[in-house]
Amino acid sequence: MATHAPTHAPSGPGHDTGHHAPPPLSHWWKRAFVWVVSSIFAALGVTWFVRWAWGFSPLWNYEVYMTVIFAFMGIAFLIGIGCFDYWWDYLRGRKVSYEDHSMHGATSWKDYLRPNTDHKVIGIQYLVLTFMAFVVAGLYAEGVRAQLAQPGENFVNGQTYNGLFSMHATVMIFGFVIPVFSGLANYVLPLMIGAKDMAFPRLNALSFWLLVVAAVLLISAPAFGAFSAGWTAYPTLALQGSTGTTMFELAVQFAGASTIATALNFMVTIVTMRAPGMTVWRMPLLVWANATTSALVVFGTPFIAGSQFMNLFDRVMGTNFFNSANGGDVLMYQHVFWFYSHPAVYIMMLPGFGIVSEVIATFSRKPIFGYRAIAFSTVAIAILGFGVWAHHMFVSGMAAWIRIPMMMMTVLIAVPTGIKIFSWLGTMWGGKIHLKTPMLFAMGFIVTFTIGGLSGIYLGALPSDIAMHSTYFVVAHIHYVFFGGSVMTIFAGTYYWFPKMTGRMYNEKLGVWHFWLTFIGMNLTFFPMHWLGTQGMPRRVSDYAPRFANVNLFISIASLIMVAGTIVFFYNMIWSWAKGPKAPWNPWRGRTLEWLVSSPPSLFNFDVTPQVVGGPYQYGIPGARHAVVFAGPELGGGELTETDKRLVLVVADEAVASASLIEDIRRRSAEGYWRFTYVVPSNPDEHRAAERRLHAALAVLAENGVEANGTVIDAPPMQAIDSVMREDTVHEIILTTYPLGSSDWLDQDLVDRVRKAAGVGLTHLTVLPGEAHAAAASVAVEKVALIANYGIDDAGLTDLVKSRADAKPLSAIVLCPLSLDVPSGSPEAEDLRNEASGRTAILIARLQDAGIQTRGEVLDGSVAAAVKIARTAHRADIALLATRPGDQVEITDEITEAAGTMTVEQVTTDGHTSTAPGASEGR
Amino acid sequence: MTTENITLGTDLSGSGPVEQPRHISQATLVMLLFLGSEAMLFASFFTAYFMVRFNVADNVWPPIDPATGKAFVLPIAVTGVNTLFLVSSSFTLWWGEHRLQHGDRKALERGLLVTIGLGLTFLVVQFNEYWHLGFSPQSQAFGTTFYTLTGLHGLHVIVGLCLLTICYVRARRRREFQPDRAPMLWASSLYWHFVDVVWVLLYFLVYLL
Repeated sequence: MATHAPTHAPSGPGHDTGHHAPPPLSHWWKRAFVWVVSSIFAALGVTWFVRWAWGFSPLWNYEVYMTVIFAFMGIAFLIGIGCFDYWWDYLRGRKVSYEDHSMHGATSWKDYLRPNTDHKVIGIQYLVLTFMAFVVAGLYAEGVRAQLAQPGENFVNGQTYNGLFSMHATVMIFGFVIPVFSGLANYVLPLMIGAKDMAFPRLNALSFWLLVVAAVLLISAPAFGAFSAGWTAYPTLALQGSTGTTMFELAVQFAGASTIATALNFMVTIVTMRAPGMTVWRMPLLVWANATTSALVVFGTPFIAGSQFMNLFDRVMGTNFFNSANGGDVLMYQHVFWFYSHPAVYIMMLPGFGIVSEVIATFSRKPIFGYRAIAFSTVAIAILGFGVWAHHMFVSGMAAWIRIPMMMMTVLIAVPTGIKIFSWLGTMWGGKIHLKTPMLFAMGFIVTFTIGGLSGIYLGALPSDIAMHSTYFVVAHIHYVFFGGSVMTIFAGTYYWFPKMTGRMYNEKLGVWHFWLTFIGMNLTFFPMHWLGTQGMPRRVSDYAPRFANVNLFISIASLIMVAGTIVFFYNMIWSWAKGPKAPWNPWRGRTLEWLVSSPPSLFNFDVTPQVVGGPYQYGIPGARHAVVFAGPELGGGELTETDKRLVLVVADEAVASASLIEDIRRRSAEGYWRFTYVVPSNPDEHRAAERRLHAALAVLAENGVEANGTVIDAPPMQAIDSVMREDTVHEIILTTYPLGSSDWLDQDLVDRVRKAAGVGLTHLTVLPGEAHAAAASVAVEKVALIANYGIDDAGLTDLVKSRADAKPLSAIVLCPLSLDVPSGSPEAEDLRNEASGRTAILIARLQDAGIQTRGEVLDGSVAAAVKIARTAHRADIALLATRPGDQVEITDEITEAAGTMTVEQVTTDGHTSTAPGASEGR
Repeated sequence: MTTENITLGTDLSGSGPVEQPRHISQATLVMLLFLGSEAMLFASFFTAYFMVRFNVADNVWPPIDPATGKAFVLPIAVTGVNTLFLVSSSFTLWWGEHRLQHGDRKALERGLLVTIGLGLTFLVVQFNEYWHLGFSPQSQAFGTTFYTLTGLHGLHVIVGLCLLTICYVRARRRREFQPDRAPMLWASSLYWHFVDVVWVLLYFLVYLL
């Protein structure tokens, strides 16, 4: 039922949606502005006072003042925008409510521009911000490629070039790859574990706005003099340079605080807020991956905070951490930095592993291979990841004895990573693979990430690393693992959950284009760098030997293919978000909990806490289920559950909505093992008519609780059946035709051909044409009585009924009341009756051709008599009295009485008589 | 219908009773994890300290201060007494929490006040030490690591005092905290004990060792 249930009402019952209406958007931003401006003066005052009181001389020091100003501005912005309002009330001893939901949820785009405590809103805030950072960082990368297209100083000078690649890496890593995973997980993780929100929603909001501060500091850094020490910010290089470097160091603190807060939130959420029945071995692998990543963040990130504090103090305060003249240790920076930044590569990769596990299991329609092995290997990678940091420092001159253990640990990490790769391959082996965009990206990821892993072995091995450490081989490696690894999984996840997050489907064709452009572009761009590296082209240098010119030009041009792919991606995302077709709840037939709620989910996700009763990846196992979810009272409290019922393919054309077919499907559905997919082979001319029939049939089935969906495919029957069977495992086919003689399909010997080609059981059902046009006996299909005489054959009436049918499935009864002035047996009466029959037949034929089940007759009697017959004999829900303009029929008491409880409406046709019956639908 | 189906659903799994969510307080859990993070922040500065001390200075520690020509001196005795202040504050806080278990809210308030008083005393003594040490964060790597380690700890004492003050305000103004439910108090006291433990470690490693 999941794909057909209506969307949740925006607010579930039992939740107080707010104690007071939140103030308008401008309130927050005005406040933030005032705070930020005041903070500049406060920073100046405080710094001046401290320097004066401590007796520093001179009182003015540009770098010191700017540092304090930027730090103050960041914090003041967070206060002004309202991240601390609740806690401020709390610490003053005001009355506060833990259940204060006044900042929760979004009703318009404005709610995305203020602190919001809804994890779904925060997830989208994260994704939008980080993809903006992705664009900025990508533009820096293109700047780098523009410079390297030819040897020599042809685009920027060396100093600016240093700034370009430093900003590219910094914004990509701290502004995109790390936080974008927080964004995706923010959205889906609480849903996946059956929670209504994160454990600390207000902390969650603070995390996001901390990231905003970091991103603004980082991206505006070039305005204060480029930060050009590389993203690793090694001293003593990072101690020189302009204020941009200070801003980088501050931005890292803000971004670090943001990720630590998010990670704490994830861990507590995962530990304490799983739905009943969700044991750790029933958690989706994305949850495993994020729990592990969060542990890495919580225990690793303080080290980069420490390293950047030391850099900042040495820069601004003149301390001696790295000043060897005064007893400092410059190598210590690298140890502290890499002790975070090696685990950081797993922070940037493990959530991607989680996404890929979800995507591959769903699109292979098979239980994931080695669930526990994947879970354990995730943890193993995290633990081993803390013991390999010095492999970044083989050539740094550190103590030589550390190198061999680090090398061995590094190579050891290949084992758990290999376990994952083989588990994914094992999942796909023998699966029914659906090549949707997320799956394409997941499979592309396996290829490119494996290449990146293999080049990692060269760099992890001491002898080859010493040779290649400073060359483009490293650049090739990091881009294969970051772009071919992390970014591919980010795209996979974005496409996979796009329908859930936006409630709309993305464009599959553009998605496939995006994949191939990205995949080909990235391989053409980064693969030649391996060769450049082994030939000795140094990295981080704006110029190179002329013999590398051709390859570099090729790389620069190839990188534009990725740019094209990214443009396609953004066009697809933005267009689909605004105008894409509505997404069903569960477009991929996933089993995890997020697919058992509406798209997008309601305000508090689950109206009734779901019960988890099995593993998350039991694809293809009949009767296996992951969870039981109940709808809220406004949906009738029914059970919404993912199923693995076997699929029956129903093939029919005009007999789609016939009573005997529907009865047959109902009978089978009651057995409980089946779900149904209609395929209606059609052609462009009859497409709309076929759709109307299909909607009527699906409405009747939905009303009867049958799990069914369907599509109209503009193709011959064999081709249409084939296209469905490629997508899905079909267990049986029901083929419905007219009897021999009136069926084109039987003339073409379709039954035998399908039976041979499909290789599955086939039931052939024969339906008489008259039965196919009989109105369905169901409340889901509205019965409309059309009462008209002159004007009954107007095209306007047909159009009117068709547009009604498009709004809601209906069946029609055409009644033509003939009030005869002449004796009923006379020839005149006979003529009148024949004329009326002709007119009526035209309308019936037109409506039937438009895909509306229609019957009709000519009656001797008044309009009131026709109304009465419509109500009693045909049990119509509504009677439409159709007249030509200026030809109104008075609704007399007689008619009202005849109608009883049935609605009577007057409609006017356009007075234009069409002569060709059925011409409107082109048959 | 709903409840019946839930029961039915769990039976179907055939894997025993449904596991209930854990009963650890979210505030306690997040504070424990956060303290893990804090411990790593201190660890990064201790790494700096040890690398400067054992990699660069080798066995000459404390090193010679070029400004005076003599080795740096740290006031071990005064700081030792100060350490006792801070350690005892952990016990007064524990006493307050313990009395709350018996429903004695007045004692909780007193315990918090005494703890805050001891914490402030520690800060004042430490500040006084800074004032009279005779070297600055810019004096060699020794001064740098000493001031950053003790300064980082001092910052944590200030944060801990803020948390305890909030607890005091909440306890007094809103009569918050029940014997079986006082997450904010538990979390704050965890933080305070952590600050104490770090100081004992710091005193041992930086002053005594």
